[in-house]
Amino acid sequence: MTAAENTFENLRLELRRGCLTLAVLAQLKEEHYGYTLRKDLAERGLEIDESTLYPLLRRLETQRLLVSEWREQDKRNKRFYRLSPEGEQILARLLDEWNTINTSVSRILRETDAETK
Amino acid sequence: MELLERYLQAVRKYLPMRRQDDIVAELRANMESQIEDRESELGRALTQGELDDFLRKMGHPMMVASRYQPQQYLIGPTIFPMYFYVLRLAMLWAFIICMIVAAVVTPLTQPGGQAVIDALFRTPGVLVQVAAWITLVFAAFDFARTRYPQACPEIPGITQNWNPSSLPPLEKAEHSGKPRSLTQTVIEIVMGVLFLGWLLLIPHHPFLLMGPGAAYLQAGPFLLAPVWWTFYWLLIAVNIMQISWKCIELARGTWERPSRLLQMISKAVGLIPIIFLLTMQDHQYVLLKNPLADQMRYGQTLHQVNEGLHFAFIVVCAIVVVQLAFDIGKWILEDYRGRIAKA
Repeated sequence: MTAAENTFENLRLELRRGCLTLAVLAQLKEEHYGYTLRKDLAERGLEIDESTLYPLLRRLETQRLLVSEWREQDKRNKRFYRLSPEGEQILARLLDEWNTINTSVSRILRETDAETK
Repeated sequence: MELLERYLQAVRKYLPMRRQDDIVAELRANMESQIEDRESELGRALTQGELDDFLRKMGHPMMVASRYQPQQYLIGPTIFPMYFYVLRLAMLWAFIICMIVAAVVTPLTQPGGQAVIDALFRTPGVLVQVAAWITLVFAAFDFARTRYPQACPEIPGITQNWNPSSLPPLEKAEHSGKPRSLTQTVIEIVMGVLFLGWLLLIPHHPFLLMGPGAAYLQAGPFLLAPVWWTFYWLLIAVNIMQISWKCIELARGTWERPSRLLQMISKAVGLIPIIFLLTMQDHQYVLLKNPLADQMRYGQTLHQVNEGLHFAFIVVCAIVVVQLAFDIGKWILEDYRGRIAKA
């Protein structure tokens, strides 16, 4: 991997990290267990590694943004996660922040594009 | 599925003890669902190779388990700047102290060059130990801070309540500042020549150095050892060299920005006379005029005077070495910053 590729990869991971948390919280308005959550996110265009997603779920639960319970489904015990009331509040605030950033970046790009043309 | 069990067993070994069962059970459920999905897509069981690929994609057991750790770093970003600052400072001082011990203290306390070489070779070990202890202390502090934030004190200077007015004043840019003027250079040369003249007059008129003490030395039972003559001529040579260097600068028109390298060399050469005195065997700087007659009466005083002088030379030498090391360090740092700025 070249130095430029390495830099790009680091920046890409940094950019994705926060976005993934937001996507996971948003997706867990409905109850999921780890694997189906991953599948649903992938179907919506957001691929995420198992080794990233499963520890992330644990971390969000430790931060009280998610709640979980063990339940049997298809003859197998699975841990199901969903957004907690505290998580709902945080998600709403994060979405506001996300929209503000998105709007600002779009405006900056539009204006700088117009200036360079 | 034996391979999956082996994989989970390997992951378990790296997990936090209290949560091992829970995490492994969840991982197993997720991985088995994924394998089942894949098998129903293919309409057959996964081959050994396909299972290998699946586990390889999951990642090395150690890496997978590490992501479940509450803390994935030894020293976190909050205290890392302070850690790095303390580490650099401690390493610099440890290095300076090692050099003083090797170059000044060891030759005076142990005979032979081998002792100096041994002392020099001990330096890397000392530096590693210093770095290890500092890292250990900061890692322990960060560990405690992460787990018991209420019980740990706030770090002064990097909390949100720091005071901008407590910032240190602007440092003078020594080298990029006002250039040395012609008048200043000429005054330095004139003063140097006057000082040299004063030095040359001392052997004929000792009161110029010792004042009334010269008369006491002449009348008293003590006399200066011949080693002082060598010291004296070394001092003269160093002064002549420094004056000559300033004259050359004046002649070449380079007095405004004197060479840093020559400044360092000049300071280092200034160490030669004092090191010469330090290497004197038996520390006989002052002698008795009539040793046979006065040894009983003044022997003890003579010993105390010589040991006192020797200790004073060690202190002076240590101060000059530290100053020189500091100047060299500062010069290297400024040079490095200059290169970065140009790049």
